[in-house]
Amino acid sequence: MHYPGALEKELLKHIPKKPATEMYPFVKVEAPEGYRGKIAFDIQKCIGCSLCALNCPSGAIEMVKDDRTKLKKKPKFFYSRCLFCGQCEEVCPRKAIKLTREFELADYDKEKMVIDV
Amino acid sequence: MEAIELLILILKIVIFPGALFCIAYGWFLEWFDRKLYARFQNRVGPFLTGPRGILQPFADFIKLLAKEDITPIEADKFGFTATPLLTLIVSLFTLLFIPITSLSGILSFPGDLLFVLFISTVFGLLIMFAGYFSGNRFSIIGTERTGLQFIAYEIPFVLSVISVALIARSLEIENIVKYQIETLGLPLIIATPVTFVVYLVAFVIYLISSLAKLEKVPFDIPEAETEIVSGWQVEYSGKKLAFFRLATDLKMVFVSGLAATLFLGGPYGPSIPGLEPVFYTIWFIIKTLVVMFILSNLRSLFARYKIDQMVRGFWKYLIPIAILQILAVEVLIFWGVF
Amino acid sequence: MNVIVEVKLLTEEKRMFKIPVGPQHPALKEFENFTFTVDGELIIDVNFRIGYTHRGIEKLAESKTYIQNLYLCERVCGICSAAHQGCYAQTAEALAGVTAPPRGVYIRTLIWELERIHSHLLWLGVAAHEIGFDTFFMLVWRDREVVMDILEMISGNRVNYAMNTVGGVRRDISDELKYKILKGLDILEERTKYYKEVCMKEQTILARAANVGILTREQALKLNAVGPTARASGVNVDIRKDVPYGAYDEVPFNVIVYDTCDVLARILVRVDETLESIRMSRWILEHLPQGEIRTNFPRRVAENEVLSRVEAPRGELFYYIKSNGTDKPERLKIRTPTLANLLPVCEMLKGCYIADIPIVLAGIDPCFACMDRALFIDENSGKRWVWDTKQLRKYSIKWYKEHGEEVVRERWKQ
Repeated sequence: MHYPGALEKELLKHIPKKPATEMYPFVKVEAPEGYRGKIAFDIQKCIGCSLCALNCPSGAIEMVKDDRTKLKKKPKFFYSRCLFCGQCEEVCPRKAIKLTREFELADYDKEKMVIDV
Repeated sequence: MEAIELLILILKIVIFPGALFCIAYGWFLEWFDRKLYARFQNRVGPFLTGPRGILQPFADFIKLLAKEDITPIEADKFGFTATPLLTLIVSLFTLLFIPITSLSGILSFPGDLLFVLFISTVFGLLIMFAGYFSGNRFSIIGTERTGLQFIAYEIPFVLSVISVALIARSLEIENIVKYQIETLGLPLIIATPVTFVVYLVAFVIYLISSLAKLEKVPFDIPEAETEIVSGWQVEYSGKKLAFFRLATDLKMVFVSGLAATLFLGGPYGPSIPGLEPVFYTIWFIIKTLVVMFILSNLRSLFARYKIDQMVRGFWKYLIPIAILQILAVEVLIFWGVF
Repeated sequence: MNVIVEVKLLTEEKRMFKIPVGPQHPALKEFENFTFTVDGELIIDVNFRIGYTHRGIEKLAESKTYIQNLYLCERVCGICSAAHQGCYAQTAEALAGVTAPPRGVYIRTLIWELERIHSHLLWLGVAAHEIGFDTFFMLVWRDREVVMDILEMISGNRVNYAMNTVGGVRRDISDELKYKILKGLDILEERTKYYKEVCMKEQTILARAANVGILTREQALKLNAVGPTARASGVNVDIRKDVPYGAYDEVPFNVIVYDTCDVLARILVRVDETLESIRMSRWILEHLPQGEIRTNFPRRVAENEVLSRVEAPRGELFYYIKSNGTDKPERLKIRTPTLANLLPVCEMLKGCYIADIPIVLAGIDPCFACMDRALFIDENSGKRWVWDTKQLRKYSIKWYKEHGEEVVRERWKQ
C-alpha cells in the first residue's frame, strides 16, 4: 500500500523542536577524548633519535640542530603538512610527542604553521 | 482626471501597494518559504543577515547585481537580453490587479480575471523563450520540459479559477471579493458545508497546479538541479539572473494573492473603520502566509517526478476532476442552492 | 520527391544530439565524463572517459615504507577508507607471514562494519538528493552523525580512522566506550527501520526508482557486476561468505539478495545491509576476546607476492603487493569495485530517460576517486609502463603546445 506524503507526520513534529544544527562558530564544540589534533612537543624528554621524522608519511617533520638533546638534533613540525595520523606519537621511545584536542588550525600564512620549540 | 489624482495613482503604482511594496513582500515570502523549508527538515535556514536572516533574499539580489554578466557566443543577443526584463515587467503587471489595500486592485475593469490569467500565461511562454535563446543543450532540454509542463498545468489552473467565477457570476475580481463578503459573509471555503465540499476540491486543484506553475518540487522538472543543472536558467548570470529570481518571487506573491482573494475572502477581515487600508493589508499578509505555509509543506514532502509521469498524471486525474467539479457547481446553481 | 527524402534525412540526423554529463555536474559527486546520445528524452548510447582523478598513488607507494603506506592507502577514498586500509594491512601481514591476534582482528572487523553503516547511510542521502527529495537527504544525514560520532570516539577522527596497522590495530575499546557505542547503535537501528518503511511506502520514490535501470541476472554475470549492484540482480556473491577473512567466519550474518533488478532493489539491498551491519556490530562488541591488539611486524619483508580481497561497501576490492627484501614494496596494485561496475552502468542506461541518469549512476554507488589507475600501453612495441606526476605533466604541456589550437577550434565548432 503506497501513497505520497509518507513523511508528513515527521515533518510536522519538527516545527516545535530545536534545530539539529550545531551553531558552530557561535557555540564552541569540544572534540572528544582521544581526538587526534595538533601536536604538543616536550623538548625535555626528546633524545633526538629522529624516528619520528623517518616514519612520518607526509614529510611534516624535519630534524634541525639543537644542543639540548642527547644526539644534538630536534624535530621541527610543519603542521600544515601534517596528516594527524599519530604515527610519530606511537613510535617515539620517550613519549615526547602528544596529539592534543585542538583542531582550529587554519591560518593565512603557511610560514607561521610551524612548531619550533 | 485631475493632476492630484494622477499623482496619487502613480505613487500607488510605484510605491505602495504597487511595485516597491510587492518587491519587498516577494522577498519576505521567499524568506518565509526558505525558513519553513529548513525548519521542516530540522535545520536552521537563513539566520545571519539581518535579524533571523530576514534580509537574506535582498542580500542575494544585491550580490547577483554585482556579479559579471556573460552572454554566450551562441545566444541570440536581443532575445537573451530582453527576456529577463520582459519577465519582470509581466510579473509586476499582474500584481496591479490583486486587491491588497482595498476590495479592488489598483487597476480593475470588468473581465480582469481573464486578463490576469492571460498575462500569467505569457510568463510561461517567456520562460520557454529564455531557454531557447540561450543556445545551450541543457537549456534546450529545459525548454522542452517547460513546454510539456505548461500544457499540463494551465488547464486545471484556469478551470479551478473559473469555477469560482461561476458561483460569483462575474469575471471581475472586485465583484468576487464583494460576493464573498456580502452574500456569503465568510470566505468561500468555509461559508457553508456545501461550498466547503465543492470548493475544497477546487482549492486543492489550484494548489497542485500552482506548485507546477511556480516550478517547485515535485514539479520542478524544468530546472532539475541534478539532471540538467538549472535547465533554462543555466546561461544567465549577474543582473539577468537577479531579475529572473525576482520575477519568480513576484509570481509567488501573485499565486498566493490570487488564492487568498478567490478562496479565502480577499483582504477583508475585522478592522477599525477609518483605518481600513492598514487592516486590509494586514489581513492580506496573514492570508497569503497561510497559503505559503501549505505550499512550503507540500514542497518538502515529495521527490521529483519525471516529465511523462507528470503530464500523464495531470491529464488522467486532475483535469477530469476539475471538469467534474465545474459540472457539480453548474448543477448546484441550476437547483438554486447557490 | 528528392526534397522529401532530403528533409527526412536532415531531421533524423539532427534529432539526436550528445549531452555531456561531467566532468563537473551536480549529478556526480566526483569527476568523470559520460557522453549520452539522446533523442528527445530517450537515451540511445553512452560513452565514458575516465581518468580525471588519477593521482599516481600506486607509484607513490613504491617510495614509502610499509608503515607509511598505511596512511597513503587510507586516503584513496574518503568513504571506504577503512576498507582500503584494512585490506592493505591484511595483505601486508600475509606478505610477511604475521598473524594479527584475535582481539585485533575483531576490532578491525568492527570498524569495517561501522564504516559500512556510514557508507550506506551516506549513499541513501545522496540517492534521495539525486531524485530531488531533499528532505529525506537532510534527515538521513542528520542520523548519519550518530555513527560518525561513534567512530570519532573510537578512533579519534570522523573520516580516515587510521585504526589499522600492520600487525593489528592501534587503539583498544574500553568498556565505557562499549556502552556508548551500543546506545548509538540502538538509535541507528530505529531510524534505519523508519527509513526502510518510508522507501517502501512513499509513492514518489517508487515512481522514480521502480522498474528503472534494469540489469538482468545474465547481464550482471556476463559483465562482472560486483557488490550490492550484483546482489540486487539476484547474483549471490559476497566475499565475506564465499572466502571468509578477518572475523567473518565466526560472526553470524545473512547475505541480502533481491531479484527485481531495478534501482529500488539496490536501495533496499543497501538499507537491509545496514540493518545487518548493526546486528553484526552488536555481536562483535558482545563477544570481543581478551588479549593483545597487535604484534610485531618486521621492518624488511622477504621476497613474496600476495593478493587479498575484501568486501568494501561498494563491492569486491583487490590488493596485490609484491615485496623484494627491502623495507619498501616493489609493486602495489589496487582494483576497486567501481571500475567493475562501470560497464554494467552503461548497459543499464540505454533505453532510460534523461531524468533517470542521476539515480541510475548513483545506484552503483560510484566512488570514482578509488577508480582511476592509468597504464600506458604502446601497441607497436608491446611495452607497458606507468608514469608519475612530473612526467605526466611534462607530457601534457608538450602535447597542448602542439595540439591546443585545433582542440579549441573543434570545440567551438559544435
